Amino acid sequence: MKHFRFRIAECGFAAMAALVFIFTLAFAGTASAMLTARANHDHITIDFFYHGSSVSVRGMSDPNVDLVIKMTSPEGHQALKQKGKVGGLLWMNVGQLKFERTPNFYAVYSTKKLDEMLNKEEQEKYVIGYPALGKHVEVTPVANEEEKAKWFDEFVKYKEESRVYASSFGKIETKVNEQGHQEYYILTDWPYQAAPGDYLVTVYAVKNGKVVEQAESKVNVEQIGVVKTLATMAKNSAAFYGLLSVGIALGAGFGVGLVFRKGGGSH
Amino acid sequence: MYLYLPVALTSINILIPVGLGLAVGLLSGLFGVGGGFLMTPLLIMFGIPSTVAAATDSNQIVAASTSGTYAHWKVGNVDFKMGLYLLAGGFIGGIVGVQAIKVLQALGNADFVIKMTYVFMLGIVGVYMFIESLQSMRKKKTAAIEEAKEEKESAVGRFLKSLPLQTRFEKSGITHSVLVPIVLGGFVGVLAAIMGVGGGFLMVPIMVYILRMPMHVVVGTSLFQILFTCIEVTFLQAYTNHSVDFVLAVLLLLGSTIGAQAGAVMGRKLKAEQLKILLAGIVLVVTVKIIFELTLSPALLLSQAGGH
Repeated sequence: MKHFRFRIAECGFAAMAALVFIFTLAFAGTASAMLTARANHDHITIDFFYHGSSVSVRGMSDPNVDLVIKMTSPEGHQALKQKGKVGGLLWMNVGQLKFERTPNFYAVYSTKKLDEMLNKEEQEKYVIGYPALGKHVEVTPVANEEEKAKWFDEFVKYKEESRVYASSFGKIETKVNEQGHQEYYILTDWPYQAAPGDYLVTVYAVKNGKVVEQAESKVNVEQIGVVKTLATMAKNSAAFYGLLSVGIALGAGFGVGLVFRKGGGSH
Repeated sequence: MYLYLPVALTSINILIPVGLGLAVGLLSGLFGVGGGFLMTPLLIMFGIPSTVAAATDSNQIVAASTSGTYAHWKVGNVDFKMGLYLLAGGFIGGIVGVQAIKVLQALGNADFVIKMTYVFMLGIVGVYMFIESLQSMRKKKTAAIEEAKEEKESAVGRFLKSLPLQTRFEKSGITHSVLVPIVLGGFVGVLAAIMGVGGGFLMVPIMVYILRMPMHVVVGTSLFQILFTCIEVTFLQAYTNHSVDFVLAVLLLLGSTIGAQAGAVMGRKLKAEQLKILLAGIVLVVTVKIIFELTLSPALLLSQAGGH
């Protein structure tokens, strides 16, 4: 009984703390203005006929601010093969580079060129733009900062080629409404190369070179139906999946052989 | 129409894998090669991750080689006895090759050895087959060349005849020691494991030039042997690496099983020399492509890890 009372008291304390936290957040929000963000297509489903989608983000902000919209997947580590010249003549894989603290997906859109609206320190603090991301990630093994910068540029090229990294300005539409608020809107292509998972959309309001406010929204990408069943089976029932793959291939090969025999009839 | 591939995690126009399957299946039925050395790079070019491309291709080859073996078996062009000995050798060679790769990786120069082995083997096989079949097509062999060749053949022949455990391979109409196909199968197995390919393009010339099997039996027997190798590879890739994309494999095999049948039919209408010179031409084109890849500056200096 004593233990039970203690648990109630513990829960009560947690609830109080949560209320205070929510109240603080709400108060902070109203105090610093009115930035909002909403992704229209926040649950993207991958079925058999999925070939990418589109995501729009809209919201309101103070009228006199610039905006940055950043979409990212959670950070992780990635290992990539590194090509180099052997004997000054032949290009081949010479090793592996590890990129730590990098998102698999990274897209940044802004109302103006980043350097014209946001100072370097703020770009680095909020990891906005490729140069800031380049400082944020860890690349191993590299000899010095120069080499790190070179291989990070190559990493961005590789990711842009796979359509999972993007950076551009001027695509965000803005207008000031009758109430004097700035409404913004952007429609972006969501590439089919973006893997299933949770993505964070962060909108930053920028004034005098600094971030003055930020708002968040989420996009969830999920496999469904047969696609999900097959992907799960490949991971969780690998032996059965392997036998099934071999069985279907054998069946198809024999099946076509039989069809051709009936069709041909000469042998 | 586009389909999403659940393991490759990408979307592809279905005409691409079906078309590729048809083309590579045709080569498979014609020449008795799996076509992995063509299909895997093409799939990577169309955005399939390299590990998934290699594993799924071996799944597709199971279907194409079943279809091809069946077509060749119907007309009596599969030497099962020879195929089983070659398989036994290939199995042992594969184990040795995998260990060799581990040693090379530990030494840090695996990629260099793999690429160089690839270029030299393809180059030598392609050039030799091309020249040999061109000569026999033109029938312009000078007496001197013929004499030299005969001398060389008889030396190799004498050595092969001197080996113990001689046995008759009825279907091919030849007699060899059982050690010969086992050792040669083992040699191809080692190289195939090092290069990460099935080895059909090496096995076919070995059967033609060293084992002296008739070209049409070579094609059927090679497909029979490839079938078993690829069943093993597909299962292991699915089980250990989870890298077989079932949907992509089905799209590929839709084309390749039909292509293999068409190839077998076409092959019966072509002469052995014509078949050999066509295969030599393809092998040489692939060699030149690899040499270009090695010498021209690549657009991207980073690529996905895993696979060769």
